Amino acid sequence: MAANEKLVLALPQGRILAEVVPLLARAGIVPEPEFDAPATRQLRFATNHAGLDIIRTRSFDVATFVAFGAAQLGIAGNDVLMEFNFTELYAPLDLGIGRCRISVAEPADLIAHDDPVRWSHVRIATKYPKLTRRYFAARGVQAECVKLNGAVELAPALGLCRRIVDLVSTGATLRANGLVEIERIAEVTSRLIVNRAALKVRHEQVSPWIERIAAAARAARAA
Amino acid sequence: MTEPAQRALLPAGLRDILPPEAEFEAAVVERLMATFGAQGYERVKPPLVEFEDSLLAGSGAAMGPHTFRLMDPVSQRMMAVRADMTLQIARIATSRLRNAPRPLRLSYAGQVLRVKGDDLRPERQFGQVGVELIGTAAAAADAEAVLLAAAALAAVGVSGLSIDLSSPRLAPAVVAAHGASLGENKPLRDALDRKDAAEVSVLGGPAAAMLAALLRAAGPAASTLAALAKLALPPEAAAEARRVGEVVALIRGAAPELRLTIDPVENRNFEYHTGLCFTLFADRVRGMLGRGGRYVAGESHSPGRGEPATGFTLFTDSLLRALPAPAQRRRLYLPSGTPAATAAKWRGEGWATVAGLDPVADARAEARRLACSHVLTGDRPQAVE
Repeated sequence: MAANEKLVLALPQGRILAEVVPLLARAGIVPEPEFDAPATRQLRFATNHAGLDIIRTRSFDVATFVAFGAAQLGIAGNDVLMEFNFTELYAPLDLGIGRCRISVAEPADLIAHDDPVRWSHVRIATKYPKLTRRYFAARGVQAECVKLNGAVELAPALGLCRRIVDLVSTGATLRANGLVEIERIAEVTSRLIVNRAALKVRHEQVSPWIERIAAAARAARAA
Repeated sequence: MTEPAQRALLPAGLRDILPPEAEFEAAVVERLMATFGAQGYERVKPPLVEFEDSLLAGSGAAMGPHTFRLMDPVSQRMMAVRADMTLQIARIATSRLRNAPRPLRLSYAGQVLRVKGDDLRPERQFGQVGVELIGTAAAAADAEAVLLAAAALAAVGVSGLSIDLSSPRLAPAVVAAHGASLGENKPLRDALDRKDAAEVSVLGGPAAAMLAALLRAAGPAASTLAALAKLALPPEAAAEARRVGEVVALIRGAAPELRLTIDPVENRNFEYHTGLCFTLFADRVRGMLGRGGRYVAGESHSPGRGEPATGFTLFTDSLLRALPAPAQRRRLYLPSGTPAATAAKWRGEGWATVAGLDPVADARAEARRLACSHVLTGDRPQAVE
């Protein structure tokens, strides 16, 4: 992590990337053309700035790359940050993109005779086992989590468990699977995250990028 | 029956340290202790295990979640394995050494055990090496701790050192001046710890604007001090900020080249600290090398009568990651039958001698097999490669 080494910005693949790219363009960061090639196998990309590279990983891995200092900057939803609770991360900036929420949902027919106050133990399918356990523990309920990596909404219908904790944006996926959102755990937006040691040791390089991206996020919100 | 390979499995976070790292680690620790000793710090050695209620009393409570406990069959009381040595040194200073003249300078080196590793340090057992300077509230003492840490790290060959100063009471003082309590507002504390400016502006209430300014002020020491000077801080917070400035001036005077940053709101890793704190970073090392700062020694034994103290702790595992690989010691193979006096002569010249116990046909091959760099041929060491 010498002062003259390149900074690495980690971006999440998928849904949020489409919102991230225009924001970075506003901040004057443009990745090399290969970044947009649909079939590319490349994972690390140069940008129009010699001192800044971009990597593309799964959203959960963005936080891990940045926490361990493999990347100095990253963009990740606060759902991911809440799940890992890394102490080596700063999240100085809410980018206001990738807006959704993380919620508890259960089948519509269960709601009629379900009283959450009486729960002492629930079994929940989720991508977020730690966050889920913490959320329920805070209200005195033990959550037994079944960790899934996708298609969480299928779990209740197939009898894996009765409740799920997952991201909800429009609620269309829940409805299509006969589920109803019963509790909101948190609102989710994408955050700019920074490695703690990098912000201290390479402050002169890292902080101008934070300011540029902050200005771009403000401009995007005003537009 | 456990198979031999399985028997080699260690519990998570524990490991064997092998040659040459084990010797290197010991040498680094000794060099650090020598630097401390040369500046008047005297070594103490507390036990590995203490009674839980004394180890974890008062400010020690912050270490509670990290601490292994066991039942003492003799006294039938709970004992705790140390997870941090600073509080043990403070206990010694304020009990058995309470009549020793102040300021009291003590140093220590030892192993600690924690129930869980963290993100960057999966190790549950690691070494701590450090000093405590007890019985003085002087700014010169804060500067001495920072400068001694820098000198000791330079002496063992750490390059690219960067020291981050912070003042854990600054943000609470700002919040208190607006009639609230940061200690009771965990969401705000968390937002400050994450440096989440947006969240701080929502949760900060009347203190929000000033907290945001503190967040923005973090950076190289000179620019942070300039930014803090422009803020209309409440009196208690202003005193904390002035103190940081005073210590920075002392450090600058003694070591103008030292890389210093200031983060006015940093609170992580300062479980029991009460005044100026610092964290040691180095280029190419992903976590901190150590941390230190001001605390109250002995508060738990005689509440209200604790002594002002400062000090720092270096973590040997992180430190070894910051250092270049150790130079291999020159090893000289002595064929079987070499006289003892000859062996002693070469050792006297700085060689590690490896004695052949049985005659071998090819001494040079045997030397290479035993990882010796040289073999004694006639009366001269000869390189084996």
